[in-house]
Amino acid sequence: MQPSKAEWGTPSVRQKKNIFKTYGNYLFVLPGLLFLTVFMLFPIAYNVFLTFKNVTVFNIMSGSDFIWFDNYLTVLSDPIFLSSIWNSIIFTSLCLVFQFLIGLTLALFFNRKFPGRGIMRSLILMAWMIPLVITGNLFQWMFAGEYGIINHFLMWIGFIQEPIYWVSNENTALYSTIIANIWIGIPFNMVILLAALQSLPVEVYEAARVDGASKARQLFSITLPLLKPTLFILVMLGIIYTFKVFDIILIMTQGGPVYSSTVVPFYAYEQAFIHYNFSIGATITTIMLFMLIVVSLVYLYFVNKEETE
Amino acid sequence: MKNRFWQSQSVATVIALFSTMLFLFPVYWMFTTSIKPMSSIFSVPPELVPSNVTAEAYTENILRNPDLLGYFGNSIIIAGGTLLLTLLLAAPIAYALARLDIKGKGPIIGIMLVTQMLPSIMLALPFFLLFSSLGLLNSFPALILANTTTAMPFAILVLRPFFMSIPKGLEEAAAIDGSNRFFTFVRIILPLAKPGLLTVGLFAFLFAWGDLLFALILTTDESIRPLTLYLFTFIGQYGTDWNSLMAVSFVAVIPIILIFIFFQKHIVEGIASGSMK
Repeated sequence: MQPSKAEWGTPSVRQKKNIFKTYGNYLFVLPGLLFLTVFMLFPIAYNVFLTFKNVTVFNIMSGSDFIWFDNYLTVLSDPIFLSSIWNSIIFTSLCLVFQFLIGLTLALFFNRKFPGRGIMRSLILMAWMIPLVITGNLFQWMFAGEYGIINHFLMWIGFIQEPIYWVSNENTALYSTIIANIWIGIPFNMVILLAALQSLPVEVYEAARVDGASKARQLFSITLPLLKPTLFILVMLGIIYTFKVFDIILIMTQGGPVYSSTVVPFYAYEQAFIHYNFSIGATITTIMLFMLIVVSLVYLYFVNKEETE
Repeated sequence: MKNRFWQSQSVATVIALFSTMLFLFPVYWMFTTSIKPMSSIFSVPPELVPSNVTAEAYTENILRNPDLLGYFGNSIIIAGGTLLLTLLLAAPIAYALARLDIKGKGPIIGIMLVTQMLPSIMLALPFFLLFSSLGLLNSFPALILANTTTAMPFAILVLRPFFMSIPKGLEEAAAIDGSNRFFTFVRIILPLAKPGLLTVGLFAFLFAWGDLLFALILTTDESIRPLTLYLFTFIGQYGTDWNSLMAVSFVAVIPIILIFIFFQKHIVEGIASGSMK
């Protein structure tokens, strides 16, 4: 919205005012865009640049050679990288499914009015805001072998006979990080789904009641179909946010034992900052970026489609 | 009859209350661990309700330990700086995207959506190399700039709809009164967008408060490290000092609890609008 010409200044300073008027709007965009370019787009470009060289901690000062696509070949033929992709897929898909199911169940309960609803919702949401370092430590403690409350509970109900060493066992380490991350993701799913549930039209449900549809029938025939757009957004954002989870893995398992819980972002961290293979680390994150861009494009395509409809 | 039982208010409340308590059990466990004496932390079976209660972990690590305050202060500086820088950068650009006539809006919004999805690890490596060549490693500005990259795209995406919802006649009326667009923005528009600015500011603060990765990679100097890194000192090679770790963790969660008590509505709105639009 721009005021018409007559409203800006007087003819004597028209020349200056005109330039100002034409480009003044861009001054609003400038600081933010500058920051984005310098601190986000440039680092990403630099990251891609690093993938074509062989930069390690030893040659970072003396200079390094261009080796073009060798890093990509190295990474893509690295069995640990391939298993980290597989771990990431397991991690992301299990987290998404359970966060959604538990989040939806909670949202359906909280969609009724009862005393104390607001405060409970806030308490649940607060769990989502706890720094991941703390959540990771907390779950590591709950998953502890002999002294862990989770093993104790499982033995008490007779599910297991002796303690499982969750985070130090190859078969369970990844799943213990998944369970911790599901717990973190539930509140987010619940809040989004609750907002969506509360915006659904009441009339449809009244009509369904008149027609004698059961509660279950209403859920599957009305609620879930109407939640489809929300579900889509949750899946997309879920993939994007879950794929980059790093802190939980670092705290609980350090990617071990024997890389059994190493996901892609953690492997990038390990290569870059534990082994100091900067270029290999950069290559892994660049491959990740490529995957995320594909997911984002799908997301943007559907968002645009929604808006134009 | 059965149906009526399940639909009654009190039953819904009881179920909701029970599931909330079950969900929050880890938080309860954090707190009870922090008030247990060493002897009962490693008791088998674990005590669901502590038989002995002690504030030792708190007095030991807070009252008798001057370090904690320093780390807490560092976290405040980093999170507060991130809040300010994010608002300073995001508010004008979000306003321009919402209301002003500029070219390239679509691409800018597209870039925001994609940058919001970037894993921190992807920026951490170039930051480490760039900041080390600029001599900025181990400085608050490095951490504030890094954390702002997490908060800013989100902030712009949340603020844009806020500016869109402000009545349109205001800018014109102000222009007729001889106010230029910058003055109008600062004096008229920003005050009206306060709820949005508050939401975005809180999120920027919370993102930076919980950051581990940037602090881990961009600092080695204990004098500027945040609370999230201080927690590592309780994790030893031969075992973890659980009650101290949980006590200090609880201290780190206090600001979050306060923010929730005072601003819960803004947080809920922020999550809903930040993910939907």
